[in-house]
Amino acid sequence: MPEIRLDGVTKQFGSFTAVDDLTITFDDNAVTCLLGPSGCGKTTLMRMIAGLETPTRGTIRFGDRDVTRLPPRRRDIGMVFQYPVMYPTLTVLENIALPLKNDRTVSRAERQRRIDEVLDVLGLHHATDRFIDQLDAGSRQMVAVGRAVARHSQIILFDEPTTNVEVNAKLRLIRAFKEITRRLKQTIIYVTHDQTEAMTLADRIALMQTGRIVQCAAPRTLYGDPTSEFGGWFLGNPGMNFLTAQVRDGAVQADILDRPLPAPAGLNAPEVVLGVRPEALRLHAAPAPGTVPAHVLDRVITIGGRYLLKLKAGTAEVKVKAARGAVPAGDAVHLEAPRDALVLFRDGARIPWPENEDPQNEDPQNEDHENKEAASQWTSMSA
Amino acid sequence: MALLDFRDLHKTYGRTTALDGLVLGVEAGTFTVLCGPPQSGKSVLMRILVGLERPTSGRLFVDGSDITDVPSGRRRLSYVPQSFALYPHMSVYDNIAYPMRLQRAATAEIRRQVDRAAQLLNITHLLEKRPDQLSGGEKQRTAVARGLVKDADVFVLDDPLVGLDFKLRERLMEDLRTMQKELQATFFYATSDSLEALIMADSLAVIEAGRILQHDETEAVYDRPGHQRAMQIIGFPRCNFLGGRLTDAGVCETPAFAFAARSDAGASIPPGDVTVGVRPEAIGVAEPQTADAVRGQGRVRLAEDLGAETVVYFETGSETLVTCHPVEAPLPRSYDDTIAFSIDPAHLVVFDGATGRRLGRGTGNGHA
Repeated sequence: MPEIRLDGVTKQFGSFTAVDDLTITFDDNAVTCLLGPSGCGKTTLMRMIAGLETPTRGTIRFGDRDVTRLPPRRRDIGMVFQYPVMYPTLTVLENIALPLKNDRTVSRAERQRRIDEVLDVLGLHHATDRFIDQLDAGSRQMVAVGRAVARHSQIILFDEPTTNVEVNAKLRLIRAFKEITRRLKQTIIYVTHDQTEAMTLADRIALMQTGRIVQCAAPRTLYGDPTSEFGGWFLGNPGMNFLTAQVRDGAVQADILDRPLPAPAGLNAPEVVLGVRPEALRLHAAPAPGTVPAHVLDRVITIGGRYLLKLKAGTAEVKVKAARGAVPAGDAVHLEAPRDALVLFRDGARIPWPENEDPQNEDPQNEDHENKEAASQWTSMSA
Repeated sequence: MALLDFRDLHKTYGRTTALDGLVLGVEAGTFTVLCGPPQSGKSVLMRILVGLERPTSGRLFVDGSDITDVPSGRRRLSYVPQSFALYPHMSVYDNIAYPMRLQRAATAEIRRQVDRAAQLLNITHLLEKRPDQLSGGEKQRTAVARGLVKDADVFVLDDPLVGLDFKLRERLMEDLRTMQKELQATFFYATSDSLEALIMADSLAVIEAGRILQHDETEAVYDRPGHQRAMQIIGFPRCNFLGGRLTDAGVCETPAFAFAARSDAGASIPPGDVTVGVRPEAIGVAEPQTADAVRGQGRVRLAEDLGAETVVYFETGSETLVTCHPVEAPLPRSYDDTIAFSIDPAHLVVFDGATGRRLGRGTGNGHA
């Protein structure tokens, strides 16, 4: 199956630029999720790949084949939309088989084998004789997925297929989708505004903002290592904390730090932004190496029964997510911001810490070793 | 005494019952959330409170006075309805200022309040526009801002964030809660979103079929659900439930595991059909911490990545269970992986299979 290569792709509607000069390759045999807030250009980009919109400028290639000007039916793609278009007077089986019937290159036996395969993966064997009208939204969407994949198109495009599906059907659909991608190895573009869906389904996520791809990376890389403030904010529930940090005498200072950290060499700015995820911050009942005193402003229960706290340390307010058992009683706590969890931004873009700095040598008491282990675990788990 | 006091409210529309003897007290200065599924009676209650509907029977008191017959305009309540209408011929600014103008507020004060509300809802740049130039989300934010400017003691918000972008909701949830604390006003807020309820409420009332199932401090509702449906409605990811049977010997048998159970007071529970609830985070995947933990094995069907947490769906017996843990926890997460789990029996909550009422909880793994 071919990769999808975009070169300078731009789409303008009047004076509005929906997709802005994108040059990127989406890997073959992989699931790429286009993720971003509404209006970021993800649907327009998908529609150009499908051939439903023509780029204002730039080229789109499937492998070496330039498809920029080809109509959708000549691109060899399958599509699944938010509202699937299906034939209500045909059965589930007929709906899935229909696109295959017109394909003269597929033998009758092969056709049957492919249909059985998708019925199997999607768990639709029991429903083959049902009419589309008799199915709930989730099952209907399942049939749409089956029809798109049974053709063995080189590329399959999904446009928010789970948006109008209730929760249990959505889970079935996501499970089936994972199974399909594991077995069939097609090149898949999946558009979603749901970060959990993207994190769960994607091999790579292309995070979009105002017509551009901000970062394209494996889900855990995108989450753990955002290259922009936007990425740190958009992913996460809640997203990253951002604090203004002062740069003075070659050091970065902020209220959540017990001591200044060496600033990147040649950093010529009075202030930078320090980013840290709420779940990476730690709380202690008593002062400990690396902690600063903090005051609990608010404490609520969130996902998985964990606490989401709002803390004040000096003048800084931060959100902390922690297991309820790991949160000291009372409002006076000690906040630790592990060095490995801190990232720097300037003008919205990530800047690196100094490379030669090794915090372990400098301060044997801190817990960086443990944090590194946790970080490597993250990486291995995303594999 | 409660600031808002709903006494035995009934509301019927023909043969449909919307409120069915609803009793609820909302304390002054709290952020009280009314959480329940769609069509559970939330909006009807809010509309009765602000005077847009009359109850079929029952009385409604605010600050000790019966306002059941007081017309809408004379109730000092600020209201953000679920479906809102903006005045199409007025700018966003004038739409937001409208309730204050009705109250004859000074122009400078109006300016100050509108600016504050607009800033809070991130619509300052839209103040000169007209509603037909706004997106759906922008209109909604304008309607919320309009509900927040009025000088009122009680703010009534009927699912104001429904349908908004996730990230915008995240911010507004935090801002509304901060605002309530600063104003020290009473917020009475309806939602069907469990996470929204947990994050915003000091005081949480769970509603279903026109009745309050449970009303308590938020953590108490989460930790000690009094009704099976309250446990189901409040919590994210969704709670696990298993059908089961309690034997004469006080052992609760489910398709996935068995355990010993007693009432919360330590008494034995009469045998019968029960429903067992266990929260996702209570299903452990590390070594069992206690000898009497309930144990079992399952097969992974799906692992979802929430960013900071992993949710794993697994099959055991004929049941599919959900567990949720921080992402760094050592969870099996590939399809068909074997998962070994353990549950502290105290986290197994036993409900009456017929009525859904809480009967008690697990006390051991039943092997003793």
